[in-house]
Order: sequence, then structure tokens, then C-alpha cells
Amino acid sequence: MPGMRLVSVISYLLAPALLGLGACSKAPAPPPLEVRLYQKWELQPGDEIAGRAVLGGLGDISIDLEGNAVYAPFAGRTQLDTRQCVIFSSPDVPAYLFRLCGLNQPRLGELKQGEAIGSGNLLYFAALRKQPNGTWAVVEPAKAILERTLTKS
Amino acid sequence: MNHRKSQVSSVKYMLAGGSVVAALGLMVDPRGFLPTTATGKDICQVVVQPEATLTRQELSRLLTVQERSDKAQIRRIAQNPYCKLPDIQIRSGVTAQREAYPLAFDSQTWLVVLYEGNEYAGYAFSFRH
Repeated sequence: MPGMRLVSVISYLLAPALLGLGACSKAPAPPPLEVRLYQKWELQPGDEIAGRAVLGGLGDISIDLEGNAVYAPFAGRTQLDTRQCVIFSSPDVPAYLFRLCGLNQPRLGELKQGEAIGSGNLLYFAALRKQPNGTWAVVEPAKAILERTLTKS
Repeated sequence: MNHRKSQVSSVKYMLAGGSVVAALGLMVDPRGFLPTTATGKDICQVVVQPEATLTRQELSRLLTVQERSDKAQIRRIAQNPYCKLPDIQIRSGVTAQREAYPLAFDSQTWLVVLYEGNEYAGYAFSFRH
């Protein structure tokens, strides 16, 4: 039956096409995110002062991670900002961003709730709240959001 | 006879080809090809108004409301939401309420609105419903 032979030929042709699709699913790294802060502080994590790196600034909570991982508190997305810190955003949590500095080789892109963002020795965590003029104010994070970030949910 | 033999061999080819495709299909994670299918645990907690949607006009009016405005200003444009998401604590000492509205012209997309008490804090588009 020529029809059946055609089906088998098509399935042979399909196999490399499927393999090709798998190889193309990695997207190039997006440009760093410019998060304009509401506060006009001179030094922020990632800056340099007298040749030394600034690790944390006003409003950052410093956590001794001891090499442990931090996790996506909600389903969301990670991006790097211009100072190489991770910015986590979630469509489930409007009006807020979370900034995580000090992570080694963080995972960038879409994350499910509870997936590891990265790990490090010292985490500098800041909660940012959207202002009407498009800037982001550093606010005091609730313990609950820190707990959600430090433990796999 | 010849005809029958070729029929058997083409069935064999088909089975072989089909199982290769099936095996490959098992290795490929189709979720990676879709834009955003990450389903979080933060789906609706309570459905308030099953028929609630936002029209284009309501959506554009809603987006003109400034953050920090009174909740009532949003409610005047969009009445009861489709559902409420679980309350969350982001800012110390403040509990945030979240409500979701599917778009009338694109039901896969929801507008999620966050309030802190009577204050409107902001919105986000959620593309996975």
C-alpha cells in the first residue's frame, strides 16, 4: 500500500524536525532591566566605593544563606538588573518587585512557584513597590514573603 | 503474493516510524514551546462573579487610574471581579487583597488588581488562564 509507506516516510521526516524544535527553544539573554528607584540613595548593591563593591544598601535585608538556595515565592519571572541583581516579578503580585542581590549564577526566565532561583552565601533582599510616577520605592518586606522565598513552597 | 509481502513490510515501517516519533514525543516537553503555562498555586480562592469580564473600554479607563487611588475609583469602572485570590503579605504590617478580571475580548488574559485596604496599589496582566 503506497499510502502506508508514505506515512512511514513522513514519520522518518518528522523525527529530525522534532529534534530541531527542542534545540531552538533556548532564547537569547534579554537586556538588563532598568529599575528606577523612588529613593535617591547614592549607593546601591552592585555599585563601587573606593574600589570596593557595595553588597547591600539601605532597605536591603541581609540573610546568611550559607550556600543554600532561594525559591520563587510565586509563579513568575527572573531578570537581571543593570547591577547584576535578580529582579523577580509575578503576574499574581501586581505593584511589587523583589530584588535579590548576592546570588551565584541565578536562573533567569519563567519560574514556577517553589523553583530555585539560585544560591549564595549572603542574600540581600529588597521589596520594591510601584509608585504612580513609574519609580519603585524600597519598602519593608513582610516576614511572610521572606519565608516564602527562603523555603521551597 | 508480492503485493501482500509489501503490505506487511510497509506496516512494519509504519510501526517503526511511529514508535520513533512516539519515543521522541515523550522526550520533548511541550510546555517549553508555549508562551507561559506556569500554573502557580495562586489561582482563585473564591469566585465572586462567574460572568464578570472587562470590556476594552473598561480596561482602558481602568488603566488611567493612578496607583494610590481609592479602591472605589476602580470599583466605579469595574464592578465585582471574577474572583478573589488569596490574601498575601508583602509589605510589613499590611495585608494585600487581589482580584482578577478576565478580559472580555481575550478570556485567556486576566487583569489582576492589588489593593491594600482601601488603596489601589496596581495591576498586572496574567496570560495563562
